[in-house]
Amino acid sequence: MESANTLTSTVKARIEAAGSDTELRAIEREYLEKGGVVAGLLAAVPSLPGPERPAAGRAANQLKLEIAAALGAARERLASADLDQERSSAGFDASLPAQHSPRGSLHPIVQLTRELSDLFHSMGFLVLDGPEVETDEHNFEALNIPRDHPARDMQDTFRCDPEGKLVLRTHTSAVQVRAMRQLKPPMRAIVPGKVFRQETTDASHEHTFHQMEGIVIDKDITVAHLISTMKVLLRGVFGREIEVRLRPGYFPFVEPGFELDARCPFCKSGCSVCKQSTWIELLPCGMIHPNVLRSSGIDPETWGGFAFGLGLSRLVMLRFQIDDVRHLLGGDLRFLEQFS
Amino acid sequence: MHLSYRWLARHVDLSGITPQQVAADLTLSTAEVEGLTRFAPCLSDVTVGLVKTRIKHPDSDHLSVCTVDVGQSEPLQIVCGAPNVAAGQLVAVALSGTELPGGLKLKKTKIRGQESNGMICSERELGLGEEHSGIWVLPGAPHVGRPVAEALALEDWVIEIDNKSVTHRPDLWGHRGFARELAAIYGRALKPLDVSLPQAPNASAAIAVRIESAACPRYLAVAIEGVQNGRSPDWLRHLLLAVGQRPIDLLVDLSNFVMLDLGQPNHLFDRRRLSPAGILVRGANSGERMTTLDGVERALEPSDLLITSGGSAVALAGVMGGESSKVEPDTSALVLEVACFQPAGIRRTSSRLGLRSDSSARFEKHLSPTLVAEAAGHLVRTLQSIQPDARITSQVSDVGAWMDPALRVNLRPARVRAVLGAALPDSEIRSILERLGLAVEAAENSWSVAIPSIRATKDLTAEHDLIEEVGRIHRYGNIAERVLVGELTPLPRDPRQDLVRRAEDRLAGGARFHQTISYSFIGDELLDQLGLAGAEHVSVVNPVADGFSSMRRSVLPSVLGTLHGNRRHRADVRMFEFGKGYLPEERNSSGEPREVHELALVWARPKAATERPWSADLLLHMQGVVEDLFVHLGLDVGAESLGAAAVEAGAKIPSWANPGRVKRLGKAGWIAQVDPRVLRRLGLSGELASEVVGAEINVDALLAAPRRKLGYTPTPRFPGSKIDVALALPTEISAAQGVAAIERAGKGQVAQAELFDVYQGPNLTSGRKSLAWHVLLQAEGRTLDEEDGQKFLKRLRREAELLGGELRSE
Repeated sequence: MESANTLTSTVKARIEAAGSDTELRAIEREYLEKGGVVAGLLAAVPSLPGPERPAAGRAANQLKLEIAAALGAARERLASADLDQERSSAGFDASLPAQHSPRGSLHPIVQLTRELSDLFHSMGFLVLDGPEVETDEHNFEALNIPRDHPARDMQDTFRCDPEGKLVLRTHTSAVQVRAMRQLKPPMRAIVPGKVFRQETTDASHEHTFHQMEGIVIDKDITVAHLISTMKVLLRGVFGREIEVRLRPGYFPFVEPGFELDARCPFCKSGCSVCKQSTWIELLPCGMIHPNVLRSSGIDPETWGGFAFGLGLSRLVMLRFQIDDVRHLLGGDLRFLEQFS
Repeated sequence: MHLSYRWLARHVDLSGITPQQVAADLTLSTAEVEGLTRFAPCLSDVTVGLVKTRIKHPDSDHLSVCTVDVGQSEPLQIVCGAPNVAAGQLVAVALSGTELPGGLKLKKTKIRGQESNGMICSERELGLGEEHSGIWVLPGAPHVGRPVAEALALEDWVIEIDNKSVTHRPDLWGHRGFARELAAIYGRALKPLDVSLPQAPNASAAIAVRIESAACPRYLAVAIEGVQNGRSPDWLRHLLLAVGQRPIDLLVDLSNFVMLDLGQPNHLFDRRRLSPAGILVRGANSGERMTTLDGVERALEPSDLLITSGGSAVALAGVMGGESSKVEPDTSALVLEVACFQPAGIRRTSSRLGLRSDSSARFEKHLSPTLVAEAAGHLVRTLQSIQPDARITSQVSDVGAWMDPALRVNLRPARVRAVLGAALPDSEIRSILERLGLAVEAAENSWSVAIPSIRATKDLTAEHDLIEEVGRIHRYGNIAERVLVGELTPLPRDPRQDLVRRAEDRLAGGARFHQTISYSFIGDELLDQLGLAGAEHVSVVNPVADGFSSMRRSVLPSVLGTLHGNRRHRADVRMFEFGKGYLPEERNSSGEPREVHELALVWARPKAATERPWSADLLLHMQGVVEDLFVHLGLDVGAESLGAAAVEAGAKIPSWANPGRVKRLGKAGWIAQVDPRVLRRLGLSGELASEVVGAEINVDALLAAPRRKLGYTPTPRFPGSKIDVALALPTEISAAQGVAAIERAGKGQVAQAELFDVYQGPNLTSGRKSLAWHVLLQAEGRTLDEEDGQKFLKRLRREAELLGGELRSE
């Protein structure tokens, strides 16, 4: 039988040479477990001459401890090598594309409506809604546009009956009247929504589009307040100060009425967006006509106000440089996906 | 409408003010200028030439060879084909290098062997109208070698005005009106214009005019003789050309000139075509017809107003003259009509007939009746300035119940400042009004402002109208901005808007759906495909296209309508829309249909070749989307299965839903597979064969739905016991019945039963399916042991047998 000392060096060499946990496990079984070499050594101790027994017993136990320690160290060495393997950059292609989850999207009209609603809400404006199938009264009469008024030509109207008692609202201004009749001044409100015009469609004309009406009614409201509010609006939309100009514009429900032009945000000296003029006609606005206030039971001597009508569809097109208005309501995923 | 800069300058001194400046100032103070272009720009490139000699071309019957002095050291040889070319004429010569309006670029050439160094131009070749029978012989003093535009003072600019921006300004439908604006803007005087009707010595009796309709408040007629109709003088032709009006002959041109100058339409009748009995203004008889100047025969209605003579219509009042009475080249005796018609009637007639004329456009703006005499005087005086022999030969017939609309309006200067928000001194306010031709009688706090007739018909009738006048001439750009101020109180939030916004975020961000917004109209074809053709719809009487008059009753069909296109490009299509449906059967007292706010969800993907595992069932995934959404919104709404029996018993499911695969979402709506028949009709077959599920949810019902209550229950103190169980059950037994069996077997200890497999196949007796659950047993106050599990399984085995099935595994 080999001595414990020779055994120690043989086993240690085997353990150090082992390349897998399986080999280590075999060595462990061979030496340390029931019926193994160390057990054999220990079992042989009583048969030794008396004086040799203590030393042989110690040597066998020493061997057991050393093997166990060597096995532990070898296992640590193997585990560490595995981790090093995992930490190596070999075979790692950093340029492989990301694996995306599919994305959803919010409609660009909704995105802009939210931004503007938040902006105006923060300035004390209620966000209102109104019917899309409207009475002639709300859409025209109460807005100072009687029958046979030439202004009706400006807005080709879908009629729900031959006489046009019910129409599809041609502007969100129709909600002005409802708001003024329901709420008490002072009031500030915006009304985003769908509007309809009986028009032949092409890349820049749609029969259905979105607008946002705004009204402010209070004491001592002046053109100066309107200008300020419009500048805040544009700052919100374009993220920076935009020069504006007001020029006369005719809308029967305001007096004075204006067209508001914004300095073209896309160029300095003329481009296709502003038709080389450096100004973009952005929105009609004006001081609410006393007749309109009166028809809603508000005394124009005490209260005054302004109104504006923002073309949301047009603004979305401007912001995203969309070249065809028909994309907006076309439901084509290839268009919608771009706004996620 | 086009304005000529040179024409404007006939009425107001524009020296030192460029056309560009005029356009900019009109934009900021008066009306929208849509464009500014040079009139006939080639006139600056062609040269005045003097024809020195003209001989017949040796090799041609109709060509001439000319030498033309164009101010160079030697005359140039030019071959000319015009019959009227002659030595001694001043002509317009396009030299080589010049480009003419048609795009013709001239160069030296040889014509039948003869050198030609340019072209002697006709008017048409220069963009000056249609005249092309011969070359244009220039009038006036020789300025040989100078550009034609300069030599003849023809330089002009065309200002294009957006008609919509002057809808409310009857005074701005002629050059004098715009000149009045420029006079106010620049503080210059409007040049006087004599518009009085010349006296007519020895005049015969007035033409008999009778008005039978209130729609004609004023009618003036006068006879004119001694006219030689023919070509108009060049100054008149060029002004008309500049504003895009084709010159015809002197009489037509003159009539147009007066309309474009003063804004008052007028009409010239050939006297030979009128009855000596005179003129009757009346409504049309029913069934009456007439042929208008454009050669179209028109069916009339009693609301149309006619000018008649001898019983037949000679003009459709205020809209267009009649073919039968128009002036001819040989007309020398005329009747001049200048009248005023009520705008609403003109508008109705021209809209109904689709006949918009320069005349109807002006009358429907509400012209002042006072313009009638002024236009008559202006026309006669202009005619006489061209043909001094022309003269009025009848007394003036001027009839009608018209009244001068001139009025006075009170204006508080303080109110001007209060509305504009500008610190304008009284003196400035007054100056602006006076420059506009409004006379001010100032008192302490309130002024009385006289509004002249031409501005009083509609435009300036109240104080705020005058405030606008001051504001626009002062310029809105000169008003400094002021921030809105107000009391700070919390604003109520709209619950529906909040719910919609949270749902949108959840669907786009969490469920990865794309939001769409569709048209409210729904095509007849799509309605057919969806089996909705018979339903009642809100509709318009004037759709943009045939078959698009209906408005959708619900939103989901619109989204289904996009599927065919979208599935062509995308395999997985997930879309949602928040929108309105329109219900005609539920109208309010003003007749408006109820508009329902809805959420529609559609999820489509290619149809699988083999059956998918239950865990890939699209309907269940959509249900997951919807239930997760409801949880996110804090709602206690779940999907209830709707048995076939309920559908057969007439439960009102949506027309798009597959009746065999539909669930109800409480009172809020439906979730279902889309009926395969509908899919086939939508063209989703072959390569596009799809499985599609949809959900239709009423937003207001969600607002009213029960809220989910969040509460706390203590976490269990003793560990539970997890057991997987599988039951083989007859196919008609539902998963819900399986769960009920588990709960009964658990005797109150089932804390959770999570379905993890559904199987039907070879290993099972036919008519059976296998359902498997992870079950968690939990007891209050103690740890469950092996024995508890065995007891549960024993009870479950019995429950399964009661359902006609068995417990498959333990």
